[in-house]
Amino acid sequence: MSLLKKGKVVFTGGGLVLFEEVQEAMKAENVLKKAAYPVRLVAPPPELRKGCDLAVEINLVEQTGIERLLKQRDVYYIEIRPLKGRDAAILEIVRVTDFGDWLMVKAANMKLTFEKKSGKIVNTSGGGCPDIPVMHAELLDKHVGEAPRPADIGYTLCALMLDRALEESRSLWKEGEGA
Amino acid sequence: MMLIAGTVPVKDMPLTFGKVSSEGDYLLIGGQRVPCAQGTGAMVSAALATTEYLKLEAPQVLLAGDIGQGKGSRAIYEYLIENVVELAPEVLALHYWLPDMAQTRRLCTEIEKCARRPVLIADAASMYSAKAAGLATAFDIFTPDAAETAFLADPDATHPAYVRFMLFNNTEKMPELITAAYEHKNAARLLLVKGATDYIVKDGEIIATVTEPDVPMMEPIGGTGDTITGMVSAFVYAGLESHEAAIIAAKANRMAGKFAIVTPATRVRRVVAQFPAVFAKYLCEWSGVCTTGGVK
Repeated sequence: MSLLKKGKVVFTGGGLVLFEEVQEAMKAENVLKKAAYPVRLVAPPPELRKGCDLAVEINLVEQTGIERLLKQRDVYYIEIRPLKGRDAAILEIVRVTDFGDWLMVKAANMKLTFEKKSGKIVNTSGGGCPDIPVMHAELLDKHVGEAPRPADIGYTLCALMLDRALEESRSLWKEGEGA
Repeated sequence: MMLIAGTVPVKDMPLTFGKVSSEGDYLLIGGQRVPCAQGTGAMVSAALATTEYLKLEAPQVLLAGDIGQGKGSRAIYEYLIENVVELAPEVLALHYWLPDMAQTRRLCTEIEKCARRPVLIADAASMYSAKAAGLATAFDIFTPDAAETAFLADPDATHPAYVRFMLFNNTEKMPELITAAYEHKNAARLLLVKGATDYIVKDGEIIATVTEPDVPMMEPIGGTGDTITGMVSAFVYAGLESHEAAIIAAKANRMAGKFAIVTPATRVRRVVAQFPAVFAKYLCEWSGVCTTGGVK
């Protein structure tokens, strides 16, 4: 049975987009609202104030899609930060596990595994956001150098972490080629 | 009724509710086909394999296509919020969706109105939203991996990408993280921490660990954590205590990996295909369930 339901958007928040200028903040709000992202204009807390006194609060998990959209529409922002845990930054650490013929690269909750000999992505795992099973299908059996970047086709923080894993995998593949 | 809700990577698939069945490598629900692959598909496949073996009613599922933009997720939240009291599931397992704290709060409020509260299970982003909304203690079971346990242990983190301390392997530091998760009230009553060592934790106390068989090549396989959650849900629905369900699911998942002789390139559907053989060989020994007539 298929069910048609209303798609009510509820604002969760949790992330702030910081700007140099008020005009850019207002432009960002307009662009994001038109794309159906739930957002609101807020004053950034003093400790996060880096430019103007206006910030856009977003659902933090949607950071990847929002960053891409703002860049596409030439909206200039300083950075996106979580509202809680104000000293927090996106995890940059990756960990590599050698499985003999394969290397697994972990970035936060995401993992990408490729075959050393061919460079082919054989699996992705971890995460829990809706775009991750999409990435799984998109990346499998593609070469690490040719696979689409999750940051380009995904929307969530899980996709961003998978992108980190792919980036590291590309570096490892290039190093292996040169060895 | 056991109800599993989550998004699937099928673009434009409408909100779909119904009893699930399988056909080859696909799940069938109300005329829709969903692949048995990483995510809700793998979870439902494992739950279905378990209920079929135990000759129990197949899971009811509430699925919607979502590629990350949240439309399908919102449809699932709204449907559950409006209908969970009437549906009255005995087990409600929540899986992939775009985490939304406000909607999760509304859903938990509605669940409290159920005449008989369902056993509430969360994995993947439904666990993220439960924790971020401060509602972890309203849940009966979470099934995090090592990175997700670091997220539960961090009181400020709203997503695993923003934790202060990352743990990639659940080794000697894991008990500290588990303690922190409970201290900050960011854990469900029961945690099944999935990893090289599986930890089964009840109300903050590690009551069991599972380490055998050791099949490290399961870790790269997308969906092998989802299958554990699917089995836990089905075993709870079958009448087992939460901790018993978790221990058996952890053992069965590992054994299925061993049976499938997995490599990092194995697809999860090959692991799921081993569950009937694993149950036939070990379920009686592990659980005392020695018939396939179910334990309800």
